Amino acid sequence: MRVLLLIALTLGAPALVAPALIAPAWGQRIDQPLPAPTLGAPPDSSLPPSVPDAPVKPELIVDLSSPRVSITSAFQGESLLLFGMFDPPGEIVVVVQGPPARETVLRKERFLGLWLNTGRMRFDDVPAYYFIAASAPLQRLLARAGGGEILSLEDRLSTIRPVRYRTPAQMAEFRQGLVEVKRREDLYPANFGQVTIQAGRLFRADLPFPSRLPEGVYDVRTYLLRDGKIVTAVSRPLPVGKVGFSAELAGWASAEGPLYGLGAIVMALVLGWLGGAVVRRL
Amino acid sequence: MEIYLPIAEQSMNVLVLFGLGGAAGLLAGMFGVGGGFLATPLLIFVGIPPAVAVASQANQVIANSISSLQVQWRRGNVDLRMGLVLLLGGMIGSSAGVTVFTWLKAIGQVDFVIAVMYVILLSSIGLLMAFESLGTLWKRRRNPTAPRGKLHTHYLVHRLPWKMRFYKSKLYISAFLPIGLGFAIGILSAILGVGGGFVLVPAMIYILGMPTTVVIGTSNFQILFVAANVTFLQAVTNGTVDVVLALLLILGGVVGAPVGSRIAARLPGVVLRALMAVLVLAVAAELLFELLRTPPSPYSLGPREVLQ
Repeated sequence: MRVLLLIALTLGAPALVAPALIAPAWGQRIDQPLPAPTLGAPPDSSLPPSVPDAPVKPELIVDLSSPRVSITSAFQGESLLLFGMFDPPGEIVVVVQGPPARETVLRKERFLGLWLNTGRMRFDDVPAYYFIAASAPLQRLLARAGGGEILSLEDRLSTIRPVRYRTPAQMAEFRQGLVEVKRREDLYPANFGQVTIQAGRLFRADLPFPSRLPEGVYDVRTYLLRDGKIVTAVSRPLPVGKVGFSAELAGWASAEGPLYGLGAIVMALVLGWLGGAVVRRL
Repeated sequence: MEIYLPIAEQSMNVLVLFGLGGAAGLLAGMFGVGGGFLATPLLIFVGIPPAVAVASQANQVIANSISSLQVQWRRGNVDLRMGLVLLLGGMIGSSAGVTVFTWLKAIGQVDFVIAVMYVILLSSIGLLMAFESLGTLWKRRRNPTAPRGKLHTHYLVHRLPWKMRFYKSKLYISAFLPIGLGFAIGILSAILGVGGGFVLVPAMIYILGMPTTVVIGTSNFQILFVAANVTFLQAVTNGTVDVVLALLLILGGVVGAPVGSRIAARLPGVVLRALMAVLVLAVAAELLFELLRTPPSPYSLGPREVLQ
């Protein structure tokens, strides 16, 4: 067993030098008018800039309990704590978004009495993960903010485009299906999170990440709202990735498929041989 | 105790996976078949993506067949010539099978095809075994000293050209037969992640007419190399071999196999075959039920494509 691990480690040595996912320790202050979080869509210039030309910007400082989400061999999902401080008064909204990708939604339909995937629709720009938390009932905040940059999940998903044209009714069905699957995997948490404000200027929120978490750089955006207007916002990247043994194996499997395959065969041969030999002694 | 499976990309209970491997090993010990036909559907039931379950199970089959082959080889129960001819078909079949698998994965039908193939395969094998064991029990009750039949019967297939002599098996048959058989098993192995012993062994006895002493060893010889080929090709083309998953299954199997063979030593063969028939039919029925019932949610997601 130890010998085997040694072999595996020696063979996997190139994968040890995993690409470092390094995030800046502090979020970047966004001074420019914020682009809408809908990646790909150009910002609408007809909208007034969300950050008013105030001489002094209200302070908004945000940090996370961990600079990254590390998927180790013991990973079972994780809850990160987002915390910070702001210049009162105001309300805080946090939007966490996973990297966008093309997703294929499959639908089972009955065919000769059997259920099989006959319907399928592909969407571009689907966020891997989407979570919103707010310090006040979100519907009220969003209504006053007038829909702009902060998008509820429904609004965010209304911007995803099917790869091939379908009727609006079909699109709505499959979009609903997409939400169903993502909800089942806790990637689009059903409930809005709560941002708790303490002492009038400190805030905190729990960001729940499930065990089946797609890798990539997530975007954690914190907004300070006053009278329904976004006064300031802080965006910081949150890398989510495998680390340690899991990362090595996965990296090895994708970069060196043939070598990984041979390694898997050797492992099985050695264990099977030893297992057989040991058992016969007993 | 949970462990994160790096290729399946989800965490899973260690004991569940170890237990599954153990159950497969138990079957291997009891019936002399790999147990993959039971482990793969069970892995899918507990939530492993079918593509990963099939590819990782193929990896486990290697360990299973080498430990069995070790004994058979020493006892001289391997017809190497027959094994190599079977393997020729097996290599072509499994390579074709992985290509078909990749295509099915691309069109989103791999789960369905796996389930349907399992239902057809398991129900036919299960029924055959059930009838055979019931028939034997019936005959034994009526006529305890049944006369021995011929060594093997001659069918039309024995008239095919390109005949070869297999000394160890005492056969003079067309090489197309074992090549064709190997090809069919290779496809099964690639798409279902099974070694195929539970099909190969009866086929070698009833279709090829091989003596039972060399059947197990020779089939293990062919399965070992076919499973290695499937593991390699799945790792290269689909990247779906999860070695952490395979490791747990193998370790479970190492523990389960001797327990199985100890049980087998205490039960008469007919009873064993009847038990196995019940088990096989139960798995087939469950898979059929999954295909027929209205799913809780008709929606699922295909592979994510991160666009650069």
